Amino acid sequence: MIRAIGKGSLASILAVGLHVVRVIVWIAFAGVSAAIVAIPLIPPVAEWISHIDGASIDGDINIDAGDFVEVLRYFISFGVALYVIERLLELLNTLRFGSPFVKENAVRFRKVGVALLFGELSKIVIGVLAMIFDADVEAGLDLMIFIAIAAVFVLSEVFREGAAMKEEQDLTV
Amino acid sequence: MSISVKLDRVLLDRGMSLTELSERVGVTIANLSILKTGKAKAIRFSTLEAICKELGCQPGDILFFEDDGKPIRHEE
Repeated sequence: MIRAIGKGSLASILAVGLHVVRVIVWIAFAGVSAAIVAIPLIPPVAEWISHIDGASIDGDINIDAGDFVEVLRYFISFGVALYVIERLLELLNTLRFGSPFVKENAVRFRKVGVALLFGELSKIVIGVLAMIFDADVEAGLDLMIFIAIAAVFVLSEVFREGAAMKEEQDLTV
Repeated sequence: MSISVKLDRVLLDRGMSLTELSERVGVTIANLSILKTGKAKAIRFSTLEAICKELGCQPGDILFFEDDGKPIRHEE
């Protein structure tokens, strides 16, 4: 049976997995952030390079707003994922090195819920922008994700009550 | 808090230290300190019973209800 805390526990395995995912998402987020900055610069730079003698580049590179919408979608997704992973790691740390029933964890769960809700609702904005600028972006809403977000908020309230009970227990003589 | 604890006064009357009481009732000094300083949120009957037994007093000698800092006393 897998232990709840300590070496080889589910929490420590999860923490290792999340650390790996965090690195991957960080790289992806950095790449997308660089792309957001670079996209507006590509046409003028390409045109400038095309004027250099011997350069074999087409100076007529056209980047429209639709491309920007696609990159923006990934920027939000990776940003939200990073934020959630950081909070989950903080939560796991309290589980591994102390008691998880503290008020701060209730706040962390609420922050995760808000971030996930923001990520889902941003799909609506991305969808509208994709329609306007004719971008090829899939931005459909999923009922199950909203149910999962509601579960996170419920968990936050459970932790808030749990933290209050733990405090009362600790201060019972 | 409306309930105040006067454990220090009873200890003083009996000439007993918190450490001695801790050893006699089997409650840690840290917990007795929480009780003495009024930080406790609850007290078990077993703890109260042990303290009263060792100090030879009634629960009412240790615990007081105060309404906005004024002690409430029933007319005899």
